[in-house]
Amino acid sequence: MSTRPQPTQQEKVMGDDDFIVSKTDLKGIITYGNRIFIQMSGYSESELLGAPHNILRHPDMPRVVFKLLWDTIQARREICAYVKNLAKDGSFYWVWANITPSLDRAGDLVGYFSVRRKPRPEAIQVVSGLYRTLLEAERKAGDGQAGMQASLAILNQVLEQKDMSYEEFVFGL
Amino acid sequence: MKNLSLGSRVRYLVGACLALFLLFGAMQVGHGLPTSQWAILTILFLLLGLTLYTVHRILKAISRLTDSLLSAARGDLDQRITGIRRGGATEELAWALNDLLDQQEAYFREVFSAFDHATRGQTFRLAMDQGLHGAFKDAMIRVNVSVESLGQVQQMALKEKLISRITDLNSGNLIKNLRSIQQYLMNMTQELTIVGQISSETAKDADGSRSTIENLVADLNQVAAMVAKTNAQISLLHEKGEEINQIVQVITDVADRTNLLALNAAIEAAHAGDVGKGFAVVAEEVRTLSENTKDAAASIATTIESFGQATSRMLEDSEQVKDLAEGSRNAVTEFRSQILKFADSAKASLGQVHKAQDLSFASLVKVDHFLFKQNGYRVLHQGSGSPEAQAIQTDHRGCRLGNWYYEGQGAENYSHVPSYHQLEAPHAGVHRNIQEAVNLLSHSWERNAETQAQIYSHFEAAERASEEVVQVLDRMVEERHRTA
Repeated sequence: MSTRPQPTQQEKVMGDDDFIVSKTDLKGIITYGNRIFIQMSGYSESELLGAPHNILRHPDMPRVVFKLLWDTIQARREICAYVKNLAKDGSFYWVWANITPSLDRAGDLVGYFSVRRKPRPEAIQVVSGLYRTLLEAERKAGDGQAGMQASLAILNQVLEQKDMSYEEFVFGL
Repeated sequence: MKNLSLGSRVRYLVGACLALFLLFGAMQVGHGLPTSQWAILTILFLLLGLTLYTVHRILKAISRLTDSLLSAARGDLDQRITGIRRGGATEELAWALNDLLDQQEAYFREVFSAFDHATRGQTFRLAMDQGLHGAFKDAMIRVNVSVESLGQVQQMALKEKLISRITDLNSGNLIKNLRSIQQYLMNMTQELTIVGQISSETAKDADGSRSTIENLVADLNQVAAMVAKTNAQISLLHEKGEEINQIVQVITDVADRTNLLALNAAIEAAHAGDVGKGFAVVAEEVRTLSENTKDAAASIATTIESFGQATSRMLEDSEQVKDLAEGSRNAVTEFRSQILKFADSAKASLGQVHKAQDLSFASLVKVDHFLFKQNGYRVLHQGSGSPEAQAIQTDHRGCRLGNWYYEGQGAENYSHVPSYHQLEAPHAGVHRNIQEAVNLLSHSWERNAETQAQIYSHFEAAERASEEVVQVLDRMVEERHRTA
């Protein structure tokens, strides 16, 4: 996967009754993907297996979302997020992602399990606006920590205004 | 062969085919089998080998599927078939198995997450049924009904927990506050009792002063009358002095004329010579007598004059005494009306002080019963072994109000007012209901809805009774002081 696909304005929409299922190891390397995953991402199973999950990362996504995501699942908590994914052919598809940690019998963290569903169009509208703002803040403040902090501050401000936790906010969309 | 697995059997068959082919080849060496027959034979064996190899691979795939299924049967839903060959005989089977496991794993994780949130009272996180199929989807819709109600119950429980903690805090402090008011009212009632005693003494003294002043006024009137009488007598005395003076004047005239007569007689006696000698002696004696009479009259006149002066002075003094007595009488009359006013106001203020005393006592016993109830409520939090549970053991005869009502000043001062007899029933009701509620609290009320209902109704009845006690007490005080 040395060359990233060039993003296009082509959108793919998930089926109402479908969900994408994938599993990764602790580093985010894909260890399993179901057929819907293969179909939506445009990659073959063999291309997906062993690849990092971020091959699907769309440049429109603010980094702070993934930071929040990783921080949460590494703390062994569930996370839900709206994510814009990049398919192999450059098209994009929105998902309502839910990631939960996988524990073995001894209670050790062994990987992550992700289910991605078709999001409600109204939610996408709100989220894409918010993400644009966050992304802009990240770009303006430059890469690295500064950008992350700037967009995190905006996100917290939005939540504070709504007097909601992140979870409450995304589930309310 | 019976104990061997299918895979091993296939492997043995492949081996046997190869061995047969080699044996056949070895047997045909030197027999000169035609090349075409050799070719057919070789292809036949190759086909056989290929078939067996395919079977072997299918079996291997099936074995992987079996492993996954066995794991799933043991409750491990994590296993999946990966690296599925496209177009392979087991491709569809493998994906179908993966799909089934995806459905199951997604279902269980969703259920777990939703319940996990609901347990913490977070109602926004319902289980998502989107993407689940058939029975999984149906089950999830039903699960969500439970999740939703659990979330609500937990949310309410969280709310209740806080309310309960704060109520506990509040009631603890309320008791402290009520105790301080109780102490304050006790002091005030005591102070008012002292003020009442002082006031009643003042009123008594004022009544005493009233009779003293009446006596004084009477005495002064008597004094004034006596002064007037004395005055009249002195005047009379003065007049008598004058009369005496006139009499003395008459006596002096008589003496003067006697003296003159005696002198004339002496001269006539001298003319008579010795014959008149004796007569001369008599005339001399008469003259001396008249001289003496004149002297005595002069002395009387002098005495009477000084007597007259004395009576004049007495008359003046007496006149002054009369004025003084008059003045005193006016002053005392004024004083008397003031004393009467004072006595009246002392009596009125005594009435007010008694009312204040009664109001203060009524407030004190009200607070006593607020405290009594609060202690009952506290047992709910503190348990039936707590000091609060001990504090409510007194009955309606043993408490401060009970003592007052049955034996003390209440019975003495209030038994005549109409509302007096209306106090007993609600007062007993407060004690009885709180005690019964607390008795129920020593049973396992936490899990018993019926007991809870009973406890609640006892507290409710105690509140109603307490309300009535307050009203009756107010009426009693009002009635006593309206009639008084």
